[in-house]
Amino acid sequence: MASSLSPYTVPSGFLLPSIHSAPPFFTQQPNPTTQATVTEQWTRLILSYARHRNLFTMRIEDAETTGGDWDEILRNERIRRRLLPSHLSYILSSMVSKNLASYEPAKQTRSVLLHWRLPEEWAEVLHEWATSTGQLNTILTFYEIMEPAIPSPLSGIPVPLLRNAIGVLGKTGRAQIISIADGEGVRFFPRSGK
Amino acid sequence: MHRLGGVGLAAFDRQQASQRSFAALSTALSQAQVEHLHAQLEQFRAALTRFATHHRAAIRRVPRFRHEFQQMCAAIGVDPLAGPRRGGWWEDALGLGDWQSELGVQIVDVCVSTRARNGGLVELQELVRLVSKLRGVEGGVVTEEDVVRSIKALKPLGAGYEVIDVGDGRKMVRNVVKELDEDQMVVLALAQEQGGRVDEELFVRRKGWAPDRARAALQNMLLRDGTCWLDEQDGLDGTGRAYWIPAAMQWDE
Repeated sequence: MASSLSPYTVPSGFLLPSIHSAPPFFTQQPNPTTQATVTEQWTRLILSYARHRNLFTMRIEDAETTGGDWDEILRNERIRRRLLPSHLSYILSSMVSKNLASYEPAKQTRSVLLHWRLPEEWAEVLHEWATSTGQLNTILTFYEIMEPAIPSPLSGIPVPLLRNAIGVLGKTGRAQIISIADGEGVRFFPRSGK
Repeated sequence: MHRLGGVGLAAFDRQQASQRSFAALSTALSQAQVEHLHAQLEQFRAALTRFATHHRAAIRRVPRFRHEFQQMCAAIGVDPLAGPRRGGWWEDALGLGDWQSELGVQIVDVCVSTRARNGGLVELQELVRLVSKLRGVEGGVVTEEDVVRSIKALKPLGAGYEVIDVGDGRKMVRNVVKELDEDQMVVLALAQEQGGRVDEELFVRRKGWAPDRARAALQNMLLRDGTCWLDEQDGLDGTGRAYWIPAAMQWDE
């Protein structure tokens, strides 16, 4: 039995922390204090992996089947352990309570949007992108932001997160939602000179 | 001209006289050297103290700066934490307290930051390794003995810091107010031998315990103390039940 727990790099290039090689890490702990540590470690792991792979959604289903985006962290074949759906469900609910994730769509608990950037951080990324690609003062559709011809840090961003980010920019007069023929668009303005 | 030593009784006097003057000369010489060294040491001490006093706040506040300072001190063979034990003037310069209690602070640092995962039990060797890493000074500076002495100094604080001999020469450091009963000592010793993983059957087979006794000891550690973690995916079919004692596992960070 290996007694040394080491970090491990998975094929996607992500470095798993040593605790991922500890068999009991995958079991939901009956001691609340211990489980708090486990939950915190899983939360950090999920968010940093999501950021690494640019993943926005996580579903309980990801722990029920193989072949999904999350196998590299939800499973550890080297020690034959996996995160059980019930345990994942518990971790996700804890993340939602800390506003590190939100149930999407609402009124269900099997799928979440992950908040690996705060709305304020997304807002800066968004404004930076609009500025650097010369798209200030023009009207952009949500689709153009989410699926840009040239991949951007915002590629694939879900509408609710995008909407939050625009909301943040709107407060400082740097963006405005505009109704257009087939839905909604947004116009960005330069940072007001200070 | 006569022979240097001469002959007869007078020669003894002469020889003794010259020995005395040689001795006096050599004393004077070494005295001068010692004084010179003292002066140099004084200068060096003043410079180092000035530096330490000047940057005192930064040394105490900025971990990176503290680390660099410790590295510098290690390079010139001075222990930045040395207090009364060697020297004694550091305490005035840095206000860091003596070397031993400073080491104590580092021990507490390590214990507190690993407590969440080990429930307040850490293997002595592992603690020495982590403290040495924290100090960033080349190996051999902190020994098990140093750590044990510092832990003894922490005892009056009543936070439960204590070195526990779990048998077979294995030592663990407890850093929570929690009594360990004899059965838990046996669990810890066996867990260390097994690399952290134990199950009830192990104690029945190796120690002749009744299954209930093994279960009770492990459940106490699991539910009451948080010194052990449960694994429900043990065994070939992945549904077995095993217990892992983090304090007995080697964590590479």
